Amino acid sequence: MSLSDRIENLLMSVQKPVRYMGGEFNAVMKDADAVDVRYAFLFPDTYEVGMSHLGMKILYHAINKREDAWCERVFSPWVDMAELMRRDGIPLFSLESRTPVREFDLLGITLQYEMSFTNILEALDLAGIPLRREDRREGPFVICGGPCAFNPEPLAPFVDLIALGDGEEETLQTIDVYKWWKASGRPREDYLKMAAQIPGIYVPSLYDVQYNPDGTVRGVTPKPGSGAPEVVRKAMVNSLDDAVYPDKLIVPYGEIIHNRIMLEIFRGCTRGCRFCQAGMIYRPVRERSINNLMSMAEDLVSATGYDEISLMSLSSGDYSCLPELAHQMVEKFAARRVKISLPSQRIDTVLTDTLKETQKVRKTALTLAPEAGTQRLRDVINKGVTEEDLMRSVTDAFEQGWSAVKLYFMLGLPTETDEDALGIADLAEKVRRCYFSVPKERRAPGLRITVSASVFVPKNDTPFQWSGQLDYETVVHRQQLLRQALSRVKGVDFKYHAPDVSFIEAVFARGDRRLAEALERAWRLGCRFDGWSDQFRYDLWLRAFEETGIDPGFYATRERDTDEIFPWDHLDCGVTKAYLLREWERARRAECTPDCRKGCTGCGVKRYPGACEGR
Amino acid sequence: MRALIRFGKQPRLRFISHLDLQRFFQRAVNRTGLPIAYTQGFNPHPVMSFGSALALGWTSEYEIIDIKLSAPMGRKRTEEAIRAALPADLPVLEVRMIDDRHAAPMALVAMADYRVQLAGESAIVVVDQIPAFLAMEHVPATKKTKSGEKEIDARPLVIDLKPTSDGFEARLMLTERDSIKPELLIALLADMAGVEAPQARIHRLMLLGKGPDGEPAPLMTL
Repeated sequence: MSLSDRIENLLMSVQKPVRYMGGEFNAVMKDADAVDVRYAFLFPDTYEVGMSHLGMKILYHAINKREDAWCERVFSPWVDMAELMRRDGIPLFSLESRTPVREFDLLGITLQYEMSFTNILEALDLAGIPLRREDRREGPFVICGGPCAFNPEPLAPFVDLIALGDGEEETLQTIDVYKWWKASGRPREDYLKMAAQIPGIYVPSLYDVQYNPDGTVRGVTPKPGSGAPEVVRKAMVNSLDDAVYPDKLIVPYGEIIHNRIMLEIFRGCTRGCRFCQAGMIYRPVRERSINNLMSMAEDLVSATGYDEISLMSLSSGDYSCLPELAHQMVEKFAARRVKISLPSQRIDTVLTDTLKETQKVRKTALTLAPEAGTQRLRDVINKGVTEEDLMRSVTDAFEQGWSAVKLYFMLGLPTETDEDALGIADLAEKVRRCYFSVPKERRAPGLRITVSASVFVPKNDTPFQWSGQLDYETVVHRQQLLRQALSRVKGVDFKYHAPDVSFIEAVFARGDRRLAEALERAWRLGCRFDGWSDQFRYDLWLRAFEETGIDPGFYATRERDTDEIFPWDHLDCGVTKAYLLREWERARRAECTPDCRKGCTGCGVKRYPGACEGR
Repeated sequence: MRALIRFGKQPRLRFISHLDLQRFFQRAVNRTGLPIAYTQGFNPHPVMSFGSALALGWTSEYEIIDIKLSAPMGRKRTEEAIRAALPADLPVLEVRMIDDRHAAPMALVAMADYRVQLAGESAIVVVDQIPAFLAMEHVPATKKTKSGEKEIDARPLVIDLKPTSDGFEARLMLTERDSIKPELLIALLADMAGVEAPQARIHRLMLLGKGPDGEPAPLMTL
């Protein structure tokens, strides 16, 4: 029986068989014998999550544009499917051609969040690929990219290459170099040495890590004779208008998280929120031109039949000609019944009137993220938003017929006190008053305020990388404090969860190579899909740390000295450590740093040729 | 004007639910570039309807979708546009242009032909029950419906039934009031044979309505 038939036989017995089906409209099929390089792209989560991810769509298209390569998709099988695959000896397979992943040349994996790390080990194991690089004599080279690639050290023994920064060009270069290597007939290790010369590519196995007696890192240095650079700079695409972007998108059959056209209107963010890793590592800001966006939208609407275009970026309200773009989009697509939406709204960037018009049909909850409950703490995190901004936004929304508001906060931010936590309840109460200040005949009935408070995770490559995560007990104390305070505000729904997941996330965000042991142990104990609350097993994680002799608090809750060498210091994300340190010190004085569109703040990204040109 | 389209559902896509297929077609018709008629209201969607929902796991070569156009369009151009908007595993098999007064395909469906392939050792004994089944006047059966269970006589719902090398082909009633699914027929035959119902691959060969004289006729010809 063929592998495809054996897979088919399982599908009657699993939840959501559509996840494993493939065959969607615009999925790329090629003749496997006619290409030189077969590339498997793994998103280490479910189909519905992975298919909503823009980066995967971009790289899928970039690779498949080449005649000599074929990129196919792979997603993590849900636990029911994984169990059946193991029972029947079915290896992890690609969706397009149902080829075993171990038969591919390259296996690209995107690292979107730390809590998918165990899924990577699970995927390698299901694929029949030895977990550790040194045990692999054949099979695909494992290449990881994405935001977590900027501290990939906990994954170091399991991967071959790490791709830093924008993937459009460097991914293609890893394919080119693969072809040269294959043609050369040289040993497996030589591909790693050759790839280490590609801008943005970091090869962990070519570096030695030295530690201090106190357990901190003394240095990460290239192995003598490896030819690997001392510092690896991220790959950067200077002009998005010249960068490759899909003119077709796969249209899934089942519903996925974001089932619409995603148009990336710009990359990077100039705001400088100090907790935000994306705001640091995706610098500089690079906008696509309106003309280019209009023609991309035209192509994608025709190729997919979607009736919604989402204008994506880290802070879409900051696009320099947003009113003009919105106007042109609405004008062009209204007759074709295509809605235009802006997913990420900020309090201080008001929706343009044009978009308000198009959004009239669906008044879903207005989502705002003040992040912290008091002005002092918002200044600490450099969230350049005042209470007046927030009140203006919600009043405006209530007057226009919204009656549901979602407010997102973080608990455990650096310097936070009980008072700051209680400030969240104050804000909720003030939002409530805004609603009742709108005359009854002008507001929609049924006020609903949802307050969500996540637990802050300090991330590498942010000004808060020196900060300890707030200890477990204090987090729980503040959650309860806030819960009690909010119970006195009518109409508020408070959402929070145990700090367990955030603690493990904090361990890995700033982890080093020694954590690989704990990661592997946790996976062997049964951890996977850690980002899914119904699968996450805190008890197993704690056992894994204990059994491997690792103190998780060393990584999560310890405040670092300003002169400490970090496990990721040899990976250049664009902004300099000196800038981050300056920001850390300003944060502790509750000093704001203005948006760098108003003047360069010296983050260091200008060291990259072509960055911030014209600014 | 409306376009009546017969398409197939290949094995690879047999796990797409009817609801997902409906959503899929809403987007598919958008990308045909044809002048599609839309419903009025806040959330306009294409005016279209299906012949009969195909159960999860089945394949077919006789699925019908009826799409309303807002302007006249040639058959050939319509067929090309639809074909370009569908993946290879949903092949377009026949297109017919009909006028707006034509009855909805759903209202015309009266019966369906199926090919059933049975797997495993019990398949032969199950198929062997066919003559006995056909000889019976009544076959009491319990049918599961949305609202619970219902006692029915299965025999008159089976219009035709003949064995094949690995299963059988059957013509079964398919109206809102009287219908029987192939699975129930398999279960009844297995019950008669005193075995567990074998695993089955079910394929829809044709949807039929009634011709001018009440005789069974392929839906596309009505």
